[in-house]
Amino acid sequence: MNALRAELRKALSLPAVWAGLAVTLFGSTAIAVLNSGRGKTAFETALGGMPLGTVGAVVIGVVAFSHEYTANNADAGGGRQITTTLTVTPQRIRILLAKVMAIVLLVVGSAAVTLPVTIGITHLIVDTTGPGVSFGDAIARCLGGTLYWTLMALIAFAITVILRNGVIPLIVLIVNSSVVSVSFLLSKLTSLAFWLPDVAGLRLFSDVMTVEGALDAGPGGLVMTGWAVVFCVAAGFVFTRRDA
Amino acid sequence: MRLGNVVLSELDKLRTLPITVLTMAGTITVAAVIGAAQRRAAAPVDVVPYVQAGFLLLGILPVGNEYTGRQFRTSLIAVPARGLLAVGKTAAAVVALMLTAVAAAAVQYALDTEAEGIGRYVGMTAYLMVIGLLAYAIALLVRHLVPALVGALCLVLILSPLLAGLTEHARWLPDRAAAELYQPTDAALTGPLVAAAWIAVIGAVAIRRFHRSDG
Repeated sequence: MNALRAELRKALSLPAVWAGLAVTLFGSTAIAVLNSGRGKTAFETALGGMPLGTVGAVVIGVVAFSHEYTANNADAGGGRQITTTLTVTPQRIRILLAKVMAIVLLVVGSAAVTLPVTIGITHLIVDTTGPGVSFGDAIARCLGGTLYWTLMALIAFAITVILRNGVIPLIVLIVNSSVVSVSFLLSKLTSLAFWLPDVAGLRLFSDVMTVEGALDAGPGGLVMTGWAVVFCVAAGFVFTRRDA
Repeated sequence: MRLGNVVLSELDKLRTLPITVLTMAGTITVAAVIGAAQRRAAAPVDVVPYVQAGFLLLGILPVGNEYTGRQFRTSLIAVPARGLLAVGKTAAAVVALMLTAVAAAAVQYALDTEAEGIGRYVGMTAYLMVIGLLAYAIALLVRHLVPALVGALCLVLILSPLLAGLTEHARWLPDRAAAELYQPTDAALTGPLVAAAWIAVIGAVAIRRFHRSDG
């Protein structure tokens, strides 16, 4: 519990985490506003900004761990925070669990603010007389979107732990959440690509962006969760066995 | 102190930085793999959007690397004339970007069975260099690797396509404007000029900061 509190305080003291939260909230809102008046229902308009939320989640997941490895100013000894963290909490699995919980809390929190705000705004400015989504469907897709963001953040976190470097996960995961997603391109060549983590989870929140053949929300969500668990277990294995 | 020496030293820094060499090799490999995979695809896609992430990183590294440790101070001790240092660094970044862009475009040209002419590939090289220079200017302005990287990636890969679907004014964004270099439209000259203006404005503010700020 103390470890979790420490990790949350550390994460919230990072400007990059706030930047990630801001990208999620303001980016999604801005896209939703710009997207309004294009003939889509209010709900679809609100979810149009989901890719920006994914970027925000990825940034949070990566930075929450990569900052531990950033060398301090050489004038202040050039140390890395990870040595302090390990001195204070020598149980390495506990550190990882605390980090995972802190990331989940931050991402779920950002979704809990962002999704109602964007949906509220689009309901105010988009003509809602047309056929809308049922309430249960809307809730399911919002929860699905939250799960997608959380899992992406955890995958980003686990890759960062394994590589001890934030640049590669940032590039790979931001590219893959954009329209030039490599996984999406692969899915045109082989249907096996629908089992890749980012494509598998797409239907959790969207049914317009996906092409024929993608996994449904239920199985896709399970596949994506499986990927996140595998990555996190691998990260735990590596982190407990390696010099910091 | 001659400009040639400064450029050579900046090139030396880039060459000895493993991540630059890895980025160049990785970008060319991605270009080759996607290009080769497209030969089997029914509807080939444009490879350029998929490799621009590599050029964004390559543009950011020469600056991002200076500010990760104490290197910037060492650089200033060696080359106290900041303007000269900025020019040398930019020249070295242009060389690295050009080598990678030429290699990536050459790979596409070699893989393209029905290449209609070399013009499109020259445009592709120019476009990729413009993208890299944009990232370089952003990095010089922001002075930190991760914010510059996330900012540039979001601008080019997320915001630009999203906005392009929403409003036609998105064509004024730097990457959309520069894309006219290899996807010619009727306004073939305006696009590159708009992109150059973006880079010039960001670069001018960045170089002013480079001159005025502490190391």
